[in-house]
Amino acid sequence: MRLGLMVLAVALGVAVVLAIDLAGDAAAGSFHSSMETLAGDNDLEVVASGGVPERIFATLSTEPVPIRVTARMEDFANLPNSKQTLPLIGIDLIGEGSRFILEGAVKSSSSSKDTGYQTSFEQLMEPTSIWVGASLKKNPGDTLELLINDRTYMCTVRGVYPDSNGTENAIVMDIAAAQRILGRTGTLDRILIKLPRNADLGEWEKKLDAGLPEGVQIRPQGSGTTENRKMLAAFRWNLRLLSYIALVVGAFLIYNTISVSVVRRRPEIGVVRALGASRADILFAFLGEAVCLGVAGALLGLPLGRVMASGAAKLMALTVDSLYVSSRPGLIELSAGSVALALLIGIGVSVISALAPTREAMQVSPVEAMARGRREYTVQVHKERDVLIAAMLAGVAAFAARLPAVAGKPLFGYLATVLLIASASFAMPALVSFISRATSKLLGRLFGVEALLASRSLAASLRRSSVLVAALSTSVAMMVSVGIMVGSFRQTVVAWMNDELPGDLYLRPAGNPAADRHPTISVELTEKIAGLPGIAAVDRLRAYEINYGGMPVTLASVDLRVLHVYHQSDFFSGRPTGEVLAELRGQANVIVSEPFTYKHHVKAGDTLQLGLGGRKDSFRIADVYFDYASERGYILMDREVLLRYLPDPTPSTLAVFLQPGADAQAVRAAILEIAAGHQILIFSDKDLRGEAIRIFDRTFAITYALEAVAIIVAVMGIAGALIALVIDRRREFGLLRFLGASSGQLRKLILVEAGLLGLFANAAGCVLGYFLSLILVFVINKQSFGWTIRFHWPFPVLLGALTIVYVATVLAGLYPARLAVRLNPLEVVHEE
Amino acid sequence: MKSSVRFFALFFLVLLPAAAQYRTALPGYHYEFPRDHFNHPEFKTEWWYYTGNLTAKDGHRFGFELTFFRQAVSRDASKTAVWDVQDVYIAHLALSDLDGGEYYHAERTNRAGPEIAGVSENLRRIWNGNWSVEGKSDAQQLRATDEQFTLELLLRSEKPPVIHGENGVSQKAEGTGQASHYISFTRLLTSGAIQLQGKPFQVSGVAWMDHEFFTHQLSNEQTGWDWFSLQLADKSELMLFELRRKDGTTDPFSAGTYVDAQGKTIHLHATDFSLKPMGQTWTSSITGATYPIKWSVSVPKLGLELEASTRLKSQELSGKSKFAPAYWEGAIDFNGRKNSSAAQGVGYLEMTGYDHPVSFGEASTGQP
Repeated sequence: MRLGLMVLAVALGVAVVLAIDLAGDAAAGSFHSSMETLAGDNDLEVVASGGVPERIFATLSTEPVPIRVTARMEDFANLPNSKQTLPLIGIDLIGEGSRFILEGAVKSSSSSKDTGYQTSFEQLMEPTSIWVGASLKKNPGDTLELLINDRTYMCTVRGVYPDSNGTENAIVMDIAAAQRILGRTGTLDRILIKLPRNADLGEWEKKLDAGLPEGVQIRPQGSGTTENRKMLAAFRWNLRLLSYIALVVGAFLIYNTISVSVVRRRPEIGVVRALGASRADILFAFLGEAVCLGVAGALLGLPLGRVMASGAAKLMALTVDSLYVSSRPGLIELSAGSVALALLIGIGVSVISALAPTREAMQVSPVEAMARGRREYTVQVHKERDVLIAAMLAGVAAFAARLPAVAGKPLFGYLATVLLIASASFAMPALVSFISRATSKLLGRLFGVEALLASRSLAASLRRSSVLVAALSTSVAMMVSVGIMVGSFRQTVVAWMNDELPGDLYLRPAGNPAADRHPTISVELTEKIAGLPGIAAVDRLRAYEINYGGMPVTLASVDLRVLHVYHQSDFFSGRPTGEVLAELRGQANVIVSEPFTYKHHVKAGDTLQLGLGGRKDSFRIADVYFDYASERGYILMDREVLLRYLPDPTPSTLAVFLQPGADAQAVRAAILEIAAGHQILIFSDKDLRGEAIRIFDRTFAITYALEAVAIIVAVMGIAGALIALVIDRRREFGLLRFLGASSGQLRKLILVEAGLLGLFANAAGCVLGYFLSLILVFVINKQSFGWTIRFHWPFPVLLGALTIVYVATVLAGLYPARLAVRLNPLEVVHEE
Repeated sequence: MKSSVRFFALFFLVLLPAAAQYRTALPGYHYEFPRDHFNHPEFKTEWWYYTGNLTAKDGHRFGFELTFFRQAVSRDASKTAVWDVQDVYIAHLALSDLDGGEYYHAERTNRAGPEIAGVSENLRRIWNGNWSVEGKSDAQQLRATDEQFTLELLLRSEKPPVIHGENGVSQKAEGTGQASHYISFTRLLTSGAIQLQGKPFQVSGVAWMDHEFFTHQLSNEQTGWDWFSLQLADKSELMLFELRRKDGTTDPFSAGTYVDAQGKTIHLHATDFSLKPMGQTWTSSITGATYPIKWSVSVPKLGLELEASTRLKSQELSGKSKFAPAYWEGAIDFNGRKNSSAAQGVGYLEMTGYDHPVSFGEASTGQP
């Protein structure tokens, strides 16, 4: 039973680490990889913020060098029926489309062979003709409703291309149709370049770059995917570390269980030693056990991890979508590498946790163990020494927390948390002993003699109980600290949104939102809305996905003619909003979000070089604003200024300001009426806050899931430890029964002991968790993501979670209590 | 008409739109240059077709072909965005390494788009990607880049353009408008450079240019044709084409043109000449088509008795798409007699409909 729990603990730890690893691979930027698959085997790509001017395509295609250039429009289409979002790819079906045309032609012409070829050209010219991947399960001739920007289109599937596992799934249309449907002309999203065989990539990149205007970038094909992976790296790294918590908790349990077994088997060890076994034999025996445990745990953890990975991938994709980049859970592949990782983790954790108890087993001398009358060995605990070590560790942790990030990773921050946890474990025996001694009288008075006994027994078997408390309190501390961090973050976001959302109504195109998708609202609809009675002003926000310093960034423009009147934003400088925004109006000044400054190491007053619309210009950072909407950086400028570079007037979202006294419901109804035929969503500022918080909670769902696993592992450990306790103390329990203790009293004794363990763990966990949360909020978060979070105690959440943990701990005592009650007192005493 | 076959490659994706929107080639067309060297969007099909025999300084011989096709597919006035397809532009490029025994070819298909391909009288330019011909003051500059080879040639015409057929039209089948306007430069003195797999060759020689535009041309009784261009050492030239019919006979609309050293032309009727395979054939391993590659050419009216043969048997241009028909288009040598004296020359031979009968998009949609 105990062994089973131990294997399960290892398995859970391994499974969680594996699941996060696998899911991270699957969730990271898979939309982009599908665009890359459909892009074909090209070598270089040309991109520009706001699109590459078409003339550059003409220049490149007529250049007297043996390259093949192809044009791409790339955006997203929503499938309203299945709520899916797929990449929308416009390709030149004449210049490069044989793959799609031929297959479409073959399928559609099979019924009417004579007209097959002819109709296919008409189909090609049709603005609603699409080609789709086979995984959509459509046939040529079928229709498919697409929501693109703020309109829906009934499209006809003209051809189906093979798409083995759904990762290549996209909506393909001719480039003319794509430009028309997206309302974007004159620019391309990407130009792909195929070089001659064996060409030197770097050399060609340089050579072709020389002919391109500033602000247009040439780079290896698929750089976007690399950038996305880079952007996601910090997120995945932090998640991975979080997944190690389950392992740490598991390690505590293994340590505890093996320690207990060493204690229990002292006589046996003594006998074996007396019979001639060397210390090395003992070492191998215990370590061998640990290795077996590790292997068994890893083998069990593999399939478990695979199952958990599919769930984790979905959760992670949600986070990635709302914070970073459009994604879609890809395939989860259990590779040889992941099997090796699982085995390594399983065995590693078991062996490392078994080391200390094994050392103790080796030190058992034959004489000591064989000595008669010596029934119970009490582990020596050097309380004073341990407290000293704990203090030292805490000191080092405090120092480490002040060190800067290493290569963008908060390595020292994590070191500080590990040190703090270690410090807490060292302090635990003293704490347990002190508290239980101090409170035993009180407990006795409150709950009777059983409670007194329970409390004393905890203090007596200090080694064991303190390890248990340490294990559970570590998971509680993690829960508390992450809970505080997320809660603080949430509170910060809520407070920030109150400042940041000055509008009365917000409009955006329907469809699934994601950090890198910026569908637009038609200009004529915007004009109509602006003219409605009751509306004082409309701010047109336009967002573009651009590249800055090798990372994806959102560039947005706001209508400062409107906004400066209404907006109240928080700036780093502390200057009033109006003053900062006045600097932006009509000028080459921008404001950037806090995560942007962190990612690109800039500050107010610095200058950014932005390539826009085939031109490159300098923009001064007027100020930095707090932003919690997106982890990718934001650059914000005046609408008038951006229109000079990218003259596309369509807005991405609208903020509507009502006239004083206007009826919001009436205005909303009026907007809906004139927006007939457009697919837009209208949010009141309250709705929008609600949606933002919903997205926020969705984003942290994975974090909560990870914590739940750590808690489960810890509670399992408590149950296992209590069982060990019962088996260990059967003589004691037998004697108690013999002396007249009722089964009810015995049960009470064990449940109180479990309850005490839970209480200690919760108390210690809360204290530790508080300090850990400080590191998480002010060191790890700041160094990984660059957000300034204001500290906040999320009391209701914490209280609820702690209660659950406490109840679970007490419940974990139920089975061992039944075991103890079932002991036959006569038999036990007879053994004496 | 000779190159019609290559744009049949298009028919897998192109519907010829209602012909009524287009002009047909009718007798009495008034030619005007340089205007008529460039685009005629009011006609459905048009091509500019360059072939030539070249010799490097070290005697190494090459043949080349560079062809620009324009096929109108839509004249919808509502679709005039940059990427909307009014015409499809196809181009073929081939290099015959006659001494190296290798044949290289490439093809491309584009829409005009943001000036990816097109024909511009203003720029004096016809292009498809980085294959182009540009009018210089007294010459034409040909440029083409392929992964395996590049051409950069300067072509100077020794003679004024020739207008084939009678009364400005080259009739191809029975019926009004079943004809094309057909212009040639029959002797283009050519010099320039060829790069073949990194190796440069300075070349010179003689090239031929055909420019044809029309809306209807052939009838569905015709299965294929054999076309010859000859450039004789005495500075005269000859163009002959023979249309093969389904019943195995030669179509009476087969015709030709003789150009003498001064540039004067004589129209040749089907009865004025004969073209006969001499038994030697070559079978393509790609399409399985068997082509006669040795011919006897006889024009009794001009006293011409010639034998046409090639140094390179494999000059079949087979498209990557299985829908595109293949054809043999290659550099040839002529030897024989003109009247009583020995005659020799170079030229190009095109043979179509040997893999399977050429079918016509017009025919299959029903002739208006």
